[in-house]
Amino acid sequence: MFELQFNNFGEFLDMGGYAFNVWTVYALFAVFILANLLIPLRRRKQIIRELKRRRIVNEGVTRTGGNPNQNQERNGLNTYPANGIDTVGENQ
Amino acid sequence: MAWLWFSKLGSPKWFYELSGKWLPWLAAAMVAVLSVGVVWGLLFMPPDYQQGFTTRILTIHVAVASMSLAFFPLMAVAGTITLVWKMKLADMVVKTAAPLGAWFSALTLASGSIWGSVMWGTWWEWDGRLTSMLFQFFLLISVISLRSALNDNEAAAKACAVLSIVGCINVVVIKYSVDWWETLHQPASSLSMNTGSVNGPEFWVPTALMMLGMYLFLAVALILSIRNEILERERRAQWVQDLARVA
Repeated sequence: MFELQFNNFGEFLDMGGYAFNVWTVYALFAVFILANLLIPLRRRKQIIRELKRRRIVNEGVTRTGGNPNQNQERNGLNTYPANGIDTVGENQ
Repeated sequence: MAWLWFSKLGSPKWFYELSGKWLPWLAAAMVAVLSVGVVWGLLFMPPDYQQGFTTRILTIHVAVASMSLAFFPLMAVAGTITLVWKMKLADMVVKTAAPLGAWFSALTLASGSIWGSVMWGTWWEWDGRLTSMLFQFFLLISVISLRSALNDNEAAAKACAVLSIVGCINVVVIKYSVDWWETLHQPASSLSMNTGSVNGPEFWVPTALMMLGMYLFLAVALILSIRNEILERERRAQWVQDLARVA
C-alpha cells in the first residue's frame, strides 16, 4: 500500500503520460483552496481597517460635542474637518 | 432552559468568539489531513488497470463533488431557521455558503471534464450527472444574484431561504442521476477491503482522506466568511467597536 509509484522525478512529472490532465487539476485545486482562504482573510483586514477609520471619525465627532474635559484638551482640533482625520485612517 | 443554547447559538457575538477558538484547530487539522491525502494520492496510489495515473484526478474530484452536495441541504436548514426564527446567524450561513458552494461545483465540473477528456474521450456530454451538477452551479449563482438584486435585506433573506430549500430537490437528482439515466457517468463504486482489487483500500483510503480534508476546508472557509459577515452586519455593536480598537 505504501509503495512509491515512480522511479525518478521525471516519471513523477510525466504521470504515465497524463501529465497535462493530472497537473492541471492539481493546479486548479490549489487555486480553489488558496482563493477561498485568502479572499476572506484579505476581506477581514479591509473590514477591520474600515472599522478603525470609522471609530476615529466617530470619536472625533463625540469629542467636539460630548465630554467637556476632552473638549478642552482637543479645542484646537474642534475645527478639524472629518476629512482630515479620514485621510489619516485610510493611509494606515 | 433547553432553548437557551439555541438563542445563544443565534447570537453573532457568541459564534464569533467560539469560532475564533475553533479556527486554529480546524485549520491545523485541515492542513495535516490534506497534506497526507495529497502526498499519498500523488506518490503512493497505484495506477488503475484501465485509467492509469488519471485516478490521481479522481481523489480530488470525488472529494470535492461529494462535499458540493452538502451546500443545498446546509443552506436549506439555515434558510428554514431564518424563515421560522429570523435568526441573524442562519441567514449569514445561507449568504456565505452560496459562493463557496459555487466554487465546489465549478471545480467538480472542471476536474471531471479534464478526467473525462482522456478517459471518456469527451470533455462534455449532456449526461444526467453532469447536467444536474451544472444545474447546481447555476442554482448557486442564482442564490447569489437574488440577494444582490433585492435591496430589502429581509426580503432577500427570505427569498434566498426559499430558493435554498427548493434547490435541495436537485441534490436528490444529482445523487440518483447515475441510477436513473445510465448514459455516461459511472455509478458509485462498490469498495473492497482487499488490496490489489479494483476498488481496494489503496484507492479509497487516500480518497477518504481527501474527503475529510475537504470537509475541514469547507468548515474553515465558511467560518472565515461568516466571521467577516458578522463584523460587517454588527459593525455598530459595542463589542465589534472594541474589537477594532485592539485589533
